[in-house]
Amino acid sequence: MDKIRILLVDDEPSFTRMLKLNLERRGFKVMVENNGAYAVTVARDFLPNLIFLDVIMPDVDGGEVAAKIQSDPTLKGVPIVFLTAGVSKETTRVKGDVIGGQTYLAKPVTVDEVVRCIEKKLAKSPGATS
Amino acid sequence: MITKPPVEPPHSGLAETAARSWFDAILSLSRDGILAISTDWIIVGWNKGAERMYGYSAEAIVGRPLSTLVPTDRLHELSAIYPAIARGSAIEEFEAVLVRSDGVSIDVVLSTAPTRDEHGHVTGALALMREVTAIRRAETAAEQNSAKLTEREMLLRKALLALRQSHEETKSAQLQLVQAAKLESIGRLAAGVAHEVKNPLAVIMFAIDYLADTIASPDEDTTAALTDARDAVKRADSVIRGLLDFSTATELSPVTEDVNRVLAKALELVRHALTKAHVLVVEEFEDGLPPAMLDRNKIEQVFVNLMINAIDAMPDGGTLIVRTRRERLTEVGNEVGVRKTDQFRMGLGVIAVEIEDTGTGIDPNCRVRLFDPFFTTKPPGKGTGLGLAVCKSIVALHGGTIRIANKEGGGGARATVVLRSIRSKEVKADG
Repeated sequence: MDKIRILLVDDEPSFTRMLKLNLERRGFKVMVENNGAYAVTVARDFLPNLIFLDVIMPDVDGGEVAAKIQSDPTLKGVPIVFLTAGVSKETTRVKGDVIGGQTYLAKPVTVDEVVRCIEKKLAKSPGATS
Repeated sequence: MITKPPVEPPHSGLAETAARSWFDAILSLSRDGILAISTDWIIVGWNKGAERMYGYSAEAIVGRPLSTLVPTDRLHELSAIYPAIARGSAIEEFEAVLVRSDGVSIDVVLSTAPTRDEHGHVTGALALMREVTAIRRAETAAEQNSAKLTEREMLLRKALLALRQSHEETKSAQLQLVQAAKLESIGRLAAGVAHEVKNPLAVIMFAIDYLADTIASPDEDTTAALTDARDAVKRADSVIRGLLDFSTATELSPVTEDVNRVLAKALELVRHALTKAHVLVVEEFEDGLPPAMLDRNKIEQVFVNLMINAIDAMPDGGTLIVRTRRERLTEVGNEVGVRKTDQFRMGLGVIAVEIEDTGTGIDPNCRVRLFDPFFTTKPPGKGTGLGLAVCKSIVALHGGTIRIANKEGGGGARATVVLRSIRSKEVKADG
């Protein structure tokens, strides 16, 4: 069975490195991109099942990246989960982790929470691989 | 005042001719008006002074009744002095209003003395009149001025009072502005700090998870170290979350909402904590509450914070009473009145939400600091001291009030949140 492919887009190398290590240990195939501007190009090559996307990055805004991914024919329908340090867990909790139609995970999260989120999103996704 | 006439006239003993001459001289020299009347109240004598006062010549007035000089609406005053004159009594300093030939009324002070024949019988009276119109007018003007002065003094006193009140309101508004500016600065700082701190916290959390998975069979100390590290990250995150909530407690997305429903949702969210702390819940929700304009997430956060505080105040279990009721503010009171600083106007419809516990109550020394950011009485790691500060900001943004006090008679504390309700007309307009 093919491994679930996860793309991590975040400008913080230590964050992506730690999350990659954890997810790989849990059996996921992980690709990291620390420059948001290259996210769409990398995604086209990697063809992830799910993308974790930082919201606030130095060169590009996470929202813009998400819009480009969603409008790309090869990436259409790939679920995106925003990982952000900009909202509180209280905010995401009361809104069911969905703000403005997007799913958010508020940093810091545990690996278990990340894995649960992947499972939940892919269960709903029409192109889910499992 | 009426007195008895002198027994002897003053000119008694003088030769009649000389007396007559004296009398004529007095009549002609006097600036006052002098007139003589008969017992049937006909004017029989009239001097130059009277002519100047009334505008009638002696020829024109002599032979006419005394009532000619009296305004028709004051004839009764004259009739009051007639009997005294008829009895031969003298009248001193009688104030009257008489009328001139041109119809203008004048104020006079008159005194009368009886005239008698050689047998001592009263034949009439002599009246001496002094015009006091100017004096009376001056007196009236002085009285009016005095009344005006009193009125102005009262106005000045009122203005002074209003000025003092306005000064107090300005001082209070300044304090509020300073407080708002402080909170805004904290908010901006918090948002910046949160972003910078949450990323490293996330890295540490993942590293702890990785190490926990890496160590195949950790000994007791390693497990404790990893647990402590995870708890420390959670605690630091909790402070940052509090700061973020505090910094975002400045914007609202209000919608028409049922307060009972928001409260029931908040109760659901703390259900686990209630069970864990063996706390019983009593719901006293008033049915058919009017709706309110609320940011439901933020108000829910307020209710959750207050409930968590109540639960934390009952470590050995207890009862949480959650109550709602509608009220119409009919009396001036705490935050209710007509001052600019009052949150509510009289007659306003409000919804009161009460969250009561059966805990130990609030230490009176802590009461004034309850809503201060970073003030907490909870043990380290349990509270950030931002919960009530956030609650206060959110409720104030809704134009409501929040109050926390010990219950009457002790046995726990009560938090009261008062929110404005909206009328059915407004609901239709909104919806």
